[in-house]
Amino acid sequence: MTIATVLRPTSLAEAAAALADTTGSVRIVGAGTAADWAGSPEPADVVLSTTALTGVIVHNPGDMTVAVRAGTPLRELNAMLAVHGQRVASDAARVDLGATIGGLVATADAGPSALVYGCLRDLVIGATVMLADGTVARTGGHVIKNVAGYDLAKLVHGCHGTLALIAELVLRLHPLPGATSTVRLIGSLADSAEAARAVLASPLEPVACEWSNGALLVRLAGTPGALPARLATLLGSAARRLDAAEQEAAWAAHAALVAGPGSRPHVDRAVLRVGARPSRLPAVIAELTSELGATGVTAGLATGVGTVTLPADPDVVARAHQLVYGVGGSSMLRSRPPGCVAPAWGPAPSAIEVLRAVQAELDPRGRLGAGRFHPWM
Amino acid sequence: MTRIDATAQRGFDRVLGAENVISDRARLRSYECDGLTGYRVIPALVLLPRTAEQVAAAVRVCAEHGITFVARGAGTGLSGGALPVADGVVISLQRLRRVLAVDPVDRLAVLEPGVTNLEITKAAAPYGLYYAPDPSSQQVCTIGGNVAENSGGAHCLKYGFTTNHVLALEVVLADGSVVTLGGDTTEQLGPDLRGVFLGSEGTLGIATKVTVRLLRTPEAVRTLLADFPSVAAAGEVVSDIIAGGIVPAAVEMMDTLAIEAAEAAVCAGYTLGVPAALVVELDGPAQECHNQFERVKAICEAHGCTRLHIAADAEERAAIWRGRKSAFAAVGRISPDYFVQDGVVPRTRLAEVLSRIGEMGEAVGLRVANVFHAGDGNLHPLVLYDASAGETARAEKLSAEIAELCVELGGSLSGEHGIGTDKACSMPKMFSEADLELMGRVRDAFDPGGLCNPGKLLPTPRLCGERPGKYRPHPLEAAGVIERL
Repeated sequence: MTIATVLRPTSLAEAAAALADTTGSVRIVGAGTAADWAGSPEPADVVLSTTALTGVIVHNPGDMTVAVRAGTPLRELNAMLAVHGQRVASDAARVDLGATIGGLVATADAGPSALVYGCLRDLVIGATVMLADGTVARTGGHVIKNVAGYDLAKLVHGCHGTLALIAELVLRLHPLPGATSTVRLIGSLADSAEAARAVLASPLEPVACEWSNGALLVRLAGTPGALPARLATLLGSAARRLDAAEQEAAWAAHAALVAGPGSRPHVDRAVLRVGARPSRLPAVIAELTSELGATGVTAGLATGVGTVTLPADPDVVARAHQLVYGVGGSSMLRSRPPGCVAPAWGPAPSAIEVLRAVQAELDPRGRLGAGRFHPWM
Repeated sequence: MTRIDATAQRGFDRVLGAENVISDRARLRSYECDGLTGYRVIPALVLLPRTAEQVAAAVRVCAEHGITFVARGAGTGLSGGALPVADGVVISLQRLRRVLAVDPVDRLAVLEPGVTNLEITKAAAPYGLYYAPDPSSQQVCTIGGNVAENSGGAHCLKYGFTTNHVLALEVVLADGSVVTLGGDTTEQLGPDLRGVFLGSEGTLGIATKVTVRLLRTPEAVRTLLADFPSVAAAGEVVSDIIAGGIVPAAVEMMDTLAIEAAEAAVCAGYTLGVPAALVVELDGPAQECHNQFERVKAICEAHGCTRLHIAADAEERAAIWRGRKSAFAAVGRISPDYFVQDGVVPRTRLAEVLSRIGEMGEAVGLRVANVFHAGDGNLHPLVLYDASAGETARAEKLSAEIAELCVELGGSLSGEHGIGTDKACSMPKMFSEADLELMGRVRDAFDPGGLCNPGKLLPTPRLCGERPGKYRPHPLEAAGVIERL
């Protein structure tokens, strides 16, 4: 096996040249926080790192939009925006690990507050992408409301380094919340699901509603006021409003479960991301736990999105995919130990032919991200 | 007239029943245009399927015979997106209008494409839920059409557009195959093809089943109507509200002419003669909503608000919205004819674009009324003209120039009405050849034969003449915001 050439372009022009002037297969990498997600990449001739494509291109505080190079870590971007009382409203677990905004989009990652703010697909309003031959194309624009042309930023949301390089993104921003508070109710997943239903039926509009580490966590955002008290009353005397330190610790613990044990060689467990209707998620997770030895559970009781950690055994993971598929859900393997050959994906979606056709149109030589959607394409 | 060969016609008769295949010219005429009535084409046939299976079967007949098809919902679109093709068929989705499921626990609804936007909320209301996107035509427009256009509405500043609320789509592709895009949650199995399909204006296939998210009805809603001595002052209020970290459910602005028209039509209680009126609506948990509303009132007063009317009850709130929502149609009261535009500018450039529009109107001797979603910079300039006085061409030109001005100011040709037939030829003002070619490649991936709604969204030589020659720098490029390699 030949050693891949590593290219680290510092501008759009250099990135285009990196693609246009090379041949062979290309693996796009960002900060590497999700390098072991989705299908295992095949050995590539060129590794194209986005980590030098960084920095804000233009921030319009009055319009609440920002254009940024894709290799910028979201943590850094949000620190800069915070000065203006603004943020990109994504709380994906790996933001704090240094994930780039482009990487977060390419992996369709999302955190608990996607419940209210949506996923990054809802926050990206424009993109500059680069095809495998170096062609630069733009989609969307710099305004939050825009229906001109196809919304091709959606095409790279979840592309995992196939189809095109994400070079620049334009994002809509949200104001920093005036205050954030969290109420915790210790209980089983099944009991918490009931409690979550009551919260969602109430007018309190929680921004996150997750079960992890044996407790329901409900987060509220907005001007400080009566909301947390109302929530605590709703959940009963066992519920407790967390102080600032406890709140931070609780959500950090949640994020740690989502991130999983990592891909260190001695670890033999893998993280599976699961999506199922909220009403079905607790039962799916219960079955994953009892039948397949799942641990490290987080369950979005309003979003239906959860994570579990499973033995990194191909058979176990394949059964987990089938189980989720069986209730109409979707699943994808995230971090797993090096050399783990467990299947990253379950049964192919019905639109797989469309996906193959899109790939044939955009990257006819299949240069980008080979292996990421194995065995689908 | 009919250019459909007999075998194909028999194919349609077979899969739909002959009584559901319209070929009578008089009946075909009622499908000749959508809400943009300036463009009219009589299709060869109109097909009236009742089920998704029939839609797929009809599309298979089209594919077999190379017949183009245009999907049509209620026909309320304002960009000619449902304009028929003369030698093609129109597939009307009006008979697929069942609400298949409302699930109050998972807070979603599953709908056939012909269900109207408002019916979704009606079906969800008994559970304290509603469907957020609310285009002005919500009483009649269909969810299938909303999907095609990625429709917005007055409340999309806070709640987003159709794309933010659709979880899954069952789609009939151009070859008649049926696929599902998206799923029960936002977790994706690969690229977001659902999101690509949303807003594709019928050019990638026909949605036959739509799964949407439902939201809980907010605990409190507060609405105010405020008059200002100038459009600039009203614009500053909007900026201050946003800068204050408040995300209103809606912020709408109307100028003198639009107010005059709306009052003539519905007497909603707007003040005649004021330069600008703002409608601001907040919603959410009661205390939160109340606190923010007090701040909004203070901001209005700080900018010289000349009248502040707060809706005391649901009836007064409805009156304020009636005035706003009637503005389009009401313009008919003050002008025999009008064109509606739909450009978007960054919110901070609202005052600038309005004064430029005013100057442009004056220069060609036409009046322009303005109604717009001030919170997100989406303008709806109404170019008033009199066709009988030979003003049509001038008005059409002014209207196109306004859309292109929005692009020049860093915005977009369309915020919610779509490109359709109307603005396809303006697309090169906003997108480069490479951008458009990429869109073309995606279209080819979905529909290699070009059978789905041809001639819409993307400029074609047939529609626009040869592609514009020499490349002109995009305004953002000139400003150094984007670079062209």
